Amino acid sequence: MKRQHRFVAAALVLVGIVGYLFITGMKDSMIYYYTPDELLAKTAADASVHDVGVKVGGRVVPGTVKFDQRTLDLRFDVVDIASGRGRFPVHYQGPLPDTFEEGRDVVVEGRYTQAGAFEATTVLTKCGSRYEAVEEDYRA
Amino acid sequence: MTQIGEVALWVALLLALWGTATAFVGGRAGRGDLVLSAERSVYGVLGLLLVASGAIIAAFLGNEYRYQYVAGYSNRELSVFYKITGLWAGQTGSLVFWALLLALFSALAVFQNRERNREFMPYVTGTLLVILAFFLVVVLSASNPFKMLEFTPADGRGLNPQLQNYWMTIHPPTLYLGFTAFTIPFAFAVSALLSGRLDTRWITTTRRWTLLAWFFLTNGIIFGMMWAYVELGWGGWWFWDPVENASLLPWLTGTAFLHSVMIQEKRGMLKVWNVFLIMATFLLSILATFLTRSGLIESVHSFAQNLTIAYIFLGFLTTLIVVSAGLVWWRRDRLSSDAQVESFLSREAAFLTNNLVFVAAMFAVLWGTLFPLISEGFTGQKIATGPPFFDRVNIPLGLLLLALMGIGPVIAWRRASPRNLRRNFVGPLLAGTAVGLGMLAGGVRHTYAILTFALGAFTLATVAIEFWKGTRARARIEGEGALVALVHLVGRNRRRYGGYIVHVGLVVGFMGIAGKAFYVEETLALRPGESMTIASPFGHTYRLTYQDMSWYTATNMTKLVASVAVEKDGRRAGMLTAEKRTYRQREEVASEVGIRRAWNEDLYLILAGIDDPNGVVQGTNPRPVATFRVLVNALVPWIWTGGFIMAVGTLIALWPGREEPRPSPARAARPAAAGRPREREPELVEA
Repeated sequence: MKRQHRFVAAALVLVGIVGYLFITGMKDSMIYYYTPDELLAKTAADASVHDVGVKVGGRVVPGTVKFDQRTLDLRFDVVDIASGRGRFPVHYQGPLPDTFEEGRDVVVEGRYTQAGAFEATTVLTKCGSRYEAVEEDYRA
Repeated sequence: MTQIGEVALWVALLLALWGTATAFVGGRAGRGDLVLSAERSVYGVLGLLLVASGAIIAAFLGNEYRYQYVAGYSNRELSVFYKITGLWAGQTGSLVFWALLLALFSALAVFQNRERNREFMPYVTGTLLVILAFFLVVVLSASNPFKMLEFTPADGRGLNPQLQNYWMTIHPPTLYLGFTAFTIPFAFAVSALLSGRLDTRWITTTRRWTLLAWFFLTNGIIFGMMWAYVELGWGGWWFWDPVENASLLPWLTGTAFLHSVMIQEKRGMLKVWNVFLIMATFLLSILATFLTRSGLIESVHSFAQNLTIAYIFLGFLTTLIVVSAGLVWWRRDRLSSDAQVESFLSREAAFLTNNLVFVAAMFAVLWGTLFPLISEGFTGQKIATGPPFFDRVNIPLGLLLLALMGIGPVIAWRRASPRNLRRNFVGPLLAGTAVGLGMLAGGVRHTYAILTFALGAFTLATVAIEFWKGTRARARIEGEGALVALVHLVGRNRRRYGGYIVHVGLVVGFMGIAGKAFYVEETLALRPGESMTIASPFGHTYRLTYQDMSWYTATNMTKLVASVAVEKDGRRAGMLTAEKRTYRQREEVASEVGIRRAWNEDLYLILAGIDDPNGVVQGTNPRPVATFRVLVNALVPWIWTGGFIMAVGTLIALWPGREEPRPSPARAARPAAAGRPREREPELVEA
């Protein structure tokens, strides 16, 4: 029976190593999801949120998109989808996502700087509503 | 006429419920007539689902846009091919398709066992019909493909451009074939628990089903990677996206199951564990279907936000977990182990570690995938984990697997003698060390990449030695030529050597994945005539010259095509084109990348931006500035090659026909001389 204990102990060591990787991996890659309203409220309440990686889902404000084809410099404003109030500018360096458009819902990932601009590392166009036909679409 | 499909679905549901009742009652009471009726219900459900699926396809081909589903995924301009595949383009159709495939496999399993395994079949049939009934309930209550709009639109919305790709038409069916095929071994496991026949019979009789499911699932995942690689235009092939993860979960437990059943067959151990693994694999297949189709977790290919479906699926999953756990608990005393692990240096220990690693990886992926939901449920704050989490946990686990792939198949059962270890591992260890040191000397400093290649070389060497030893022995004893001996060796021990070939494929695939350490990327805006250069990690240099921009109109899109001339080390190496497509129906833009494939790397060209696309189409600006993103993706072709080798290996292991029932003459001739009681491969029971 003693031998079996040794195997259990060895398995526990393995599980422990995986657990360690788990926890450190979580710490390094946690990203908070906010709406623009929440982001503005959180950063106003706690300046340290400026340094945290966040994902923000919002709507591209029509008329604010500026994209330079040569330098791939993209700037636009994002507004809270539900309330229409919380709004901030986004800066992104890179090719325009294919389905990016004014008025479209996007998820930007990056940091909201002290200067009040969002430095995005990725801009994703939201796909959830895109694949599924919505009944209202036919009426438009 | 197409409305007949909806009628068929209702009748199928009634028939499935009837069959469930007769199967369980008939099995319990030993009433052969009831069991027969249940088995016929399976064929009936298959027929009815064929009618329903045919009706959906007919509605697509007939442009019947009063059906919400057809209107949402098709339009008049869509080609016939994509109209037929419309059956699985969206949520509602794909659930019918899932049920159809399950009915097909169920009917095959019932037919195959019409005169065998009679003590299992009532409960197998009942279990399969419960699952079919569940899917039919979901379809009819929450996701009816025959739901009508209040009016008939003149045209449909068309199919999402990113889905108009051949990989995308073959990827979902392949995955679904894998998911549904795992239901058969699951049903046999449930039946074994219910009937109390808990020897290895349920495992051996479903061995081919498990391999078949694994074959489809593996290929389905690889097809999905290929789709992402050519269609998403990011230069990557795996994004730890929730839907990708969902398909990986049953693969991980299914692969663990394929290995752990060997321990039960040879040593009578791990009985509970095997039941647990196949149940987990099936439950994770259901979870994967559910995650893909409910859009619960934000993902690039989430389809819908349909909470009714979410609740039904969660209810079903919970019931399945409770019932499965209850069954195992009820039969716990019949599931005790016949033997124990004796030494760390044994095949049992290697297989156990392999299983732990697979299950740990499964939990990591599951946790990372569900974490946003969990955190939102408990704290109200949605928090996601990114790819770094998955990489951090899974890369070390993957490397451990790579090493185990070399150790497990050749180390002795029970307890390896020093002689066994020396004979089998000295050469491979030298090979691995040589490759690792060679890479270090060559200036490679990426730890994971070096480890992948070193451990890969170690594993490949063990496999090569196995092939060589087997062939040599056979050639000597049978007096055959080397090639003939090799063919016979593999042919007579297909499960074993097929498995080795799968391992080789996986090693090659892992090396391809490790190539990611060497990717190079450049982004530059060019005028026609201007060039950019990019250096490959293999030492040569590509020079890309932007030649011109042209535009075309196709039936449902306008294409802008940039032509780029490629030179490799100053020598002409063909043209690449990259496109921006604007789809008329949805006014959506999609990129088509240009890929120049070599045996060791891909030159991957993305048309990232066009300065004045309207000017090109109107003819006012024929020479626009274009922005290109160019990547040299080292070793990506190895991933696909590895996948192909794995598929070949699986087919060899899977191919019907008898294997040699006796121990091979090579091993029978010198059992004592080898000094290690290596058990022969058990004869393959016809599945």
